[in-house]
Amino acid sequence: MITSNQMFYRTPQFQIFSESEREMIYSAALEVLETAGVQIERKSALTLLENAGARIEGNKAYIPSYIVEEAVRNAPRKILIYDRNGNPAMRLESTHYYFGTGSDTPHFLDSYNNEIRRTVHKDIGNVAKLVDALPNLDFLMSLGLIWDEKVSMTDLYQFQEMLFNTTKPIVFTAHDLKGTKDIIKMASIAAGSEDELKKHPFIINYIEPTSPLVETKEPIDKLLYCAEQGIPSLYTPTISAGSTAPATLAGTIIQALAECLSGVTMAQLNKKGAPVLIGGVISAMDMHSGSFIYGGPDFHLMCAGMNEMSSYLGLPVYGTAGCTDSKAIDEQAAIEGVFSINLQALSGGNLIHDVGYIASGLIGSLDMVTMCDEIIAMTKRIMRGIEVDKEHLAVETIRRVGPKGSFIADKHTMRHFKDQQWYPELMDRKNYDKWAAAGKKSCGQRINEKVKRILKEHKPEPLEKSKQDEIMKLINSEAKTRKVRY
Amino acid sequence: MSLLEDLKDAVIEMEDEKTPELTQKALDEGNTPEAILKKALVPAMDFVGDQFEKGKRYVPEMVLSAQAMKAAMKLLRPLLAESGIEPKGIVVIGTVEGDLHDIGQNLVAMMLEGAGFEVYNSGTETTADEFVKAIKEHNANIVGLSALITTTMTHMPEVIERIEDAGLRDKVKVIIGGAPVDQDYSDEIKADGYASDAGSAVKLANKLIEG
Repeated sequence: MITSNQMFYRTPQFQIFSESEREMIYSAALEVLETAGVQIERKSALTLLENAGARIEGNKAYIPSYIVEEAVRNAPRKILIYDRNGNPAMRLESTHYYFGTGSDTPHFLDSYNNEIRRTVHKDIGNVAKLVDALPNLDFLMSLGLIWDEKVSMTDLYQFQEMLFNTTKPIVFTAHDLKGTKDIIKMASIAAGSEDELKKHPFIINYIEPTSPLVETKEPIDKLLYCAEQGIPSLYTPTISAGSTAPATLAGTIIQALAECLSGVTMAQLNKKGAPVLIGGVISAMDMHSGSFIYGGPDFHLMCAGMNEMSSYLGLPVYGTAGCTDSKAIDEQAAIEGVFSINLQALSGGNLIHDVGYIASGLIGSLDMVTMCDEIIAMTKRIMRGIEVDKEHLAVETIRRVGPKGSFIADKHTMRHFKDQQWYPELMDRKNYDKWAAAGKKSCGQRINEKVKRILKEHKPEPLEKSKQDEIMKLINSEAKTRKVRY
Repeated sequence: MSLLEDLKDAVIEMEDEKTPELTQKALDEGNTPEAILKKALVPAMDFVGDQFEKGKRYVPEMVLSAQAMKAAMKLLRPLLAESGIEPKGIVVIGTVEGDLHDIGQNLVAMMLEGAGFEVYNSGTETTADEFVKAIKEHNANIVGLSALITTTMTHMPEVIERIEDAGLRDKVKVIIGGAPVDQDYSDEIKADGYASDAGSAVKLANKLIEG
């Protein structure tokens, strides 16, 4: 085949903004930083910005665009994340996409009795075990926030459970700077040394500014510390159109972008090249219930729009999907799961979190995680697109088999059917009789059985005993010294 | 239509620039402050609240109606006090120490005002001592504690303890709300009640005041 100027789409195409629209949105975010300013509640960060040329009035910083643009240029456009064993696991750049759970839900949907109850310590180990076993989840967050330990210690226990029960990369939350330092210590022990962790980071620090446009002390401390240490962090808001941001989708994306970029700027001023992700949960307030929306076309669009903006800026992005407002693993959960996962993959979110959130992010569910694992598998097949070349056009095969022939045992079929067709684990394609004979199980029942099977059978690769002991020693000594509050 | 009906409509139609003027006119016409409150403002907010419960009105519309009522109450409150009419209840509300998330509690504050309570909003990051001080200062009989984060939620029992230490626990009902808390938590820390949203918070406050 001799041809010229051909162009191939390797994946399906999806785009919300044109080049001019992206430029308008970025320019608007820069204008917000320069003219609306950001409230910064940590003196050291104000000083950093002032020395760089920002105008400071009280605790507000008005950041000129040249400072932000320089920070964007200095921030790495790709962040390589490893697994616990030091093997490359995620290349956070461009439109590479990876999915993982969300963190810290106070309640849990119990997979064994279908009841909603408080999250407990052992749930986190189960989350880690499940994510370790599911092939389409690439990283994890705690999913739950535990009630049966002292509040002052929950960040350490949550991290320990994740560290002990999977080798996959971990996005962690810490109560404060001390918690962040302790968790980095725990990860260093697992990695072998602090240097080893810095060379092959398998943890990312979750840091959240407060919308609209407020940077409080703890998040700034964590951000600046991680920047110095070379530990990747994400600085991303949970922003609510109509309450903590404008009601318009574009306005909310602009404000979210401004909030992220203020973090990128502070991090780069503190340490040039500090790895930081932008993005977040870009959503809206439901004006009937007052709830923060975790499923719905407006929310999915804004998150996708944010991904496009990050590609435009060349910054890795933290996306959101696999979550629902439903209180049960039902049709609503599936519908919202599908839309969010599809649009996140199509728009190229890099580190896509919140898989497993139900009830608007207030309840964690292992069944939801497992259902989404299959949705992600389907989405990945869609994202592989349709190959168009001589072999795939298959004209010779059609000619060879000819009218009234059969393709079923053709060598071309044998070469391709497994790769071209997608095979489900949870979707049912049996005929009616076979399905009935197997107990007429709904998809929900099959999902639940898979969760229980994994929890019963899966054995994650353990962390060496000596490392476990050292980490437990650190935790136990913290448990004695950390201020206990109720 | 009478002036009182016009005023009622203005609250329902969220016209906060009209309500003070209409209230003044109604007073000039000889209506008592109590009559204005009971015949115009309270029925208006009852109507709006009912529409909200039925899903026919949205949060921003509720907030604007509450603001329209508040603008009228600014004129009426001193007159009501003069004639010895006490507000239904006095509420101090705030988000606990370390917590910056106040959307929910602001909504509750506005809804309570709309329901005829006198509300003092302490805003975000209110310490236990600040709560106690505000309760004393305003002679409150209800205090509302809000938290969005589980790590700040634990300040709630601290506030209750401090209220006890100040000898105010018999005088003031403690109600709690926010994403991480629930009825069990309310029972555990011996609060007087928990509400899952702003509408339920008003019902709870009414019940506690009547009870």
